[in-house]
Parts: sequence; C-alpha cells; structure tokens
Amino acid sequence: MEAAATANGGDHAAVAVLRETTPFGEASGALLARIAALARLARYGAGARIYAPDDPADDIFVVVSGRVEHVLDPEVGAREGVKRVARGGVFGWTGLLLGQTRRMATVTALEPTEVLRLNTDDLIKLLSAEPLEGEHVLERFVSMIQREFTVPALLARVRRLSGPLTEEMSKLGLTMYRMSLWLKSPRPYLMLIGFALFLGFWYLAVEVWKLPRFREMPGPTSVVKEWLSPNPTYGLSLYTEEYYQHIIVSVWRVTKAFLLATVLGVAFGLLLGWSRAFKEYVFPVFEMLRPIPILAWVPLAIVMFIATESAVVYLAFLASFFATALNTMLGVESIDESYVRAAHCLGADRWQVFRHVIIPGSLPFIFTGLQISIGVSWFSLVAAEMVSGQYGLGYVINTSYMMVRYPTIVIGMVTLGLVGYITSAMVRIAGDYLMEWRVRELALSER
Amino acid sequence: MSVGQISIQDVVKVYDPEGAAVMAVDHCSLEIEAGEICMIVGPSGCGKTTLLNAIAGFHDITSGRITMDGEVLCSNDKPKSEPGPDRIVVFQNGALFPWKSNLENVIFGPVMQGKLARKQALEKGRAMMADAGLSGVEHNYPGEVSSGMRRRVEIVRALMNDPKALLLDEPYRALDSLTKSVMHEALLEIYYKNKVTIFFITHDLEEAIFLGHRVAIMTTRPCKPKKVLTVDIPHPRDYSVLTSKRFRELIEETNDAVHEEALKAFQAGEKEG
Repeated sequence: MEAAATANGGDHAAVAVLRETTPFGEASGALLARIAALARLARYGAGARIYAPDDPADDIFVVVSGRVEHVLDPEVGAREGVKRVARGGVFGWTGLLLGQTRRMATVTALEPTEVLRLNTDDLIKLLSAEPLEGEHVLERFVSMIQREFTVPALLARVRRLSGPLTEEMSKLGLTMYRMSLWLKSPRPYLMLIGFALFLGFWYLAVEVWKLPRFREMPGPTSVVKEWLSPNPTYGLSLYTEEYYQHIIVSVWRVTKAFLLATVLGVAFGLLLGWSRAFKEYVFPVFEMLRPIPILAWVPLAIVMFIATESAVVYLAFLASFFATALNTMLGVESIDESYVRAAHCLGADRWQVFRHVIIPGSLPFIFTGLQISIGVSWFSLVAAEMVSGQYGLGYVINTSYMMVRYPTIVIGMVTLGLVGYITSAMVRIAGDYLMEWRVRELALSER
Repeated sequence: MSVGQISIQDVVKVYDPEGAAVMAVDHCSLEIEAGEICMIVGPSGCGKTTLLNAIAGFHDITSGRITMDGEVLCSNDKPKSEPGPDRIVVFQNGALFPWKSNLENVIFGPVMQGKLARKQALEKGRAMMADAGLSGVEHNYPGEVSSGMRRRVEIVRALMNDPKALLLDEPYRALDSLTKSVMHEALLEIYYKNKVTIFFITHDLEEAIFLGHRVAIMTTRPCKPKKVLTVDIPHPRDYSVLTSKRFRELIEETNDAVHEEALKAFQAGEKEG
C-alpha cells in the first residue's frame, strides 16, 4: 500500500539520489535542486503493486531505498523483460516516450521501498526552461531506456521539449553546447595524438634519421623556431606584420571568390535542375568547360583582366562555381517527385513549390557542393597566386622557393592548411545550422 | 449533403501512343459514392495507380472523362486535371517534407493557399494532431517518429484542407502487419469523424474488405473493374470483424478473382523479364 505521498522536505537527500541516476547524473546542481523541488516522496510496503500496464503514465519514479521488480509487457519487445531496480534506479519513464500515455510495465515493491515521484509533464516543463541541459537529460533517458531496460530503439524515442524557449531557441546555443560535449569526449585527445605522431615522424625522418629525400627538407624544429621567432632569419614569422598581410590577402580573395561562386553557382544550378529547356541549352557547354584544369585558364585570365588581383579571384571563383553549380543541379534532380506532387495537391503554386520544396530539398547536395567548392577555391587560389600576383600564401610559397627560404615554405603550407581547415569547418557548421532536420535524422540512424 | 462523389467514365490510358503502346487502363468505368470508402484491389503494376494519378491530376488520360460532384476534372478536351486541395493524395512511401517539423507539415496546405493565417493554422494543426493522438510530436521532424506516426501525420495534413476526397496509394504497404492493423483502426476512426470520400488502392484483399464499403477488384494491365463487391458488414467496424463469419465468406467469394489476376500479372511479368 502506498503511504501518503508527502511533500518532500529533504531536498538535499533528494539531490543526492538524483545525482546517482543515469538521466540526471550529469545535470548541474541548480537544475537538480529544481527537479528535487518537484519530487514527492512515497513509500510502498513489500509486495505492493506500484502500477500495472494501461494505468495512466503520469509520474517518473526514482528509487531512494528498497527494491522493486519491473516487468515489461512482452509486446514492448525488450530483450530482457524483467529487471530489479534499486537505489538510483529510474522507472516509470513511459510518459516520456513519443505517443505513449499508458504504462507498459508491472512494477511491484519487493521490500519496503521509498521512491521519489516526479510528474512527467512538470518535468518536461522544467527541462524546457533549460533547453540545453534539458535536451541532454532527455538524451540520457533514451540511452538508459535502451541499455538498462533493453527496449528497442524504435520505441525508445522521447518527446521533444516544447515551449517558446525551445521553439525559438538559438541553434547557435545548441551548437556551442555540442561543442562543449565534444571537448569532454575522448575524440579531441585522439586527434591530438594523431598530430603528435605526424610531427614525431617528421622530426625523426628529417632531423634524426636523415632519411634520403627527407634530408634536404626543413625539419619541424627549424620551422617552429623560425615561425615563433621575433627576428626570423627569412623575414616571416608570427611576429611579423607581413605574415598576417599574406593571410588576410588570401582569405579576402577566397571569400570574394567563394561568395560570388555560391550566389551564382546555386542560382545557376537551381535553374539547371528546375528548367529542362535551360539545361538543354547550357549543360553541354558547362560539361565541356568543367574538366579544364584551372591552371589552363591562367593565360586567358591574365588577358581578360588586366589587373592581376581580379585575375586571381576569377580563377578561384571559376573552380568553385563549377563544383557548386553541379551539386546544386544534382540536388534538385534528387528530390523525390512525390514531394512536388504533394505540394501541388496541398495547393502550392509553382513559386511556393520552389521556395518550400526545391530549395530545402536540395540543401544537402548544395552543402556537399560548398564543401568541395571551398576546397577547390583554396586550391586554385594558391595555384593562381604562384603564377601571378603579389602577396598571398601561394605567393609566399613560390617566392620562398626561388629565394631558397625552405622553412618559410613550410610555414606557408602549414598556415594554408590551418586556414583552409577553418574555412571548411565554417561551411560545415553553417550547413548543420540550416539543416537541423538532417542532423537529427542522421543521428537517429546511427544509433 | 455529402460531397466527394467521383465518377470515372470510360477512361482509357495508353502510354507512349506513338511507339510500343501499352494500354494501362482500358475503358474503365466506376462510380464512387460520396462519403464512401472505395477500395481498389489489384496486383502490383496492374494500372490502378495510373487511375489514381488521373484523378489527382498528375497524369493525363487518353480518352474518357472523370468528374467530381458533377464537375469535370478531365475529359477528351482537357486530358489533365489540375491537382488541388479538394482531392489529396497520400503517397505509397509517404511524402511528408523531411525538412519541416510535423506541425509545419500539417499547416502547409492552408498556409500556402492563404486560407488561414499562420497563427490560426498552427492552432488548428495542434488541435487536429491532438485529435489523432499525435500530441507531443509536433516539433519533431518526420524522420524522428515511427513510420506509423508519419502516416497519421500525413493524413492529418490532408484533412487540414477539408478535402472532398482522399486518394490513398497503398499507404500501409511498407508497414509491418501489427502496425498495419493499428493504422486500419486509426483510419476508420478518422473516417468516422470526417466522413470524407476515400479512394484506397491496395493489393491486400483482407485490408480491402475490412475497410471498404465497396471493393473493386481490377483486372491486370489493362486495368478495369473485374468484379465490384459490396461489403455488407455494418460500420463502425473494429477488429472483431476480422474473425467474423461474414468476413471469411466475403474473402472466399473474392479470393479466386484476385488470385487469377495476380497469376496473370505474374506471367506477364515473366514474359517481359
């Protein structure tokens, strides 16, 4: 029999139990205190039935002391239907599942048992006020339900937080939060180990073993020394203004080329995919121009643009444009015909179909294109800078070669690698930001 | 009072009239009463989807006429009807927009047509989703919920437009049989509330007899009604019908006809292959 559920006086004790649970274990003290304030303490005698299938799924239970037996309805399809839950265990989570309002298990107290009861809707409301932490708590619930209760992934999908805060919540905040989770995972440290191995090999091959072919290369110590020196032997280091000038010039050129290529390439690609007539006129010419290597365009670019600056940007633009346009076109063509038909059925006109179906539907392909595009943009920029132009990282590499400043070559290369990595990461983040639906879908299929 | 009476009159559809002509639909006539559930049964590839596409306005017809409540949808003079929110298709593989949340999908129709302001549409959408047991998934994307739920969301999205008819193209084909049985009862429940005409394509005879007021068994390529069966089991129905004597009798009565067509379709497929 259930003893009268009392208002819970010992918040401190409640927080301590919550901290031992899987779902709430990582929540902040402030959040735990607020959850504890929701909790009501209840006692059951040995053999008391706490709930049975088809009872309304109102509360979530946290065991404080004693033990209960939790028997899942066989229809749920859990691998192991019977489970004993002791202190720190959480049950009664059915109300969190999508579309479930009824209990799916029989729970009986095996001995005199104390539990904390949390109203599911109140909990969701509370978590909605703290969307970042709240999402994390729900994620932990999902993994608990799957792992500890062996419920199939198909069923273990929890409700989303609702309320104005989550609906309008800045997606940037979510990205930042994911970032902080990433830093807590082992992945960044594995990455560091990878870098350390690479540098170690470079050091050993060049400076210790002096392997053939590596002997003439600048070793990591001489590069790093030069890079960090306030008075660099060859005139370029973190302390010289010139270094940043080169970076800024290259970044600015790539930015111009990439933005122009994105605007024109996406528009052109959408048109190619959307209008059959347009494609028939234009696509063969496009396909003939596309494979021409960017270096082959250099002479013409110099003839076309008297100013080298525009010529260099033009070359970087050209490569980007082809990649973006082609992928955008493939994106439009990849859209399932039934989406377009469904939109027409629902009364959308041609423009609305374009705006609400064609554009969002091709976004995954467009962003694949942009990933390639930012890469080839850097690639052709450097090629162009090596052939013509003043300033820029490609120019640095090329002139350092001619003037036998080997460490500076490597400084230029490493800087290029870093800057290129940052720009392509920015494109990827922008993509995830615009395609949250896809990020979520992929996360589910991985699970 | 009821609307949504669809009349298919002598419709012919020939694919590729110049080359190797394939007759998909052959002088097909069928009356679908206002507010009834009319089930179209035939083996895969028999041409029944062609018929649905003609009603929906995705394809033109070669000759004949289709009317709805007396209004001509398509005829010899105007071979292709305009798709519109008065007859909404629920697709075989589902066509919820994966980039919109379930709620945004549901309000798509009225907002696009300018029939409701966004705020009212959201209100109505929430209410209708709650009515169909879909509370709590409004802000999930379709890819995050089960396939059974997706189907329900898609039907709610259609009903938001107060359509005269729903055209369902084997909507439960990809579902496992347990989910399917749940979906059948859910569909009937929605139907009893809304009384909209339902034109439902399937290859599953039991599904057809369980749901339909009438079942039209189609011949295979070219497609036309071979036998039209009136199911005299009274509505509202629930799952006890499946084990009733009358249900079994009706299955027995029609099974031969369906099997014969399935065999024909199979042999035709072998010849082509």
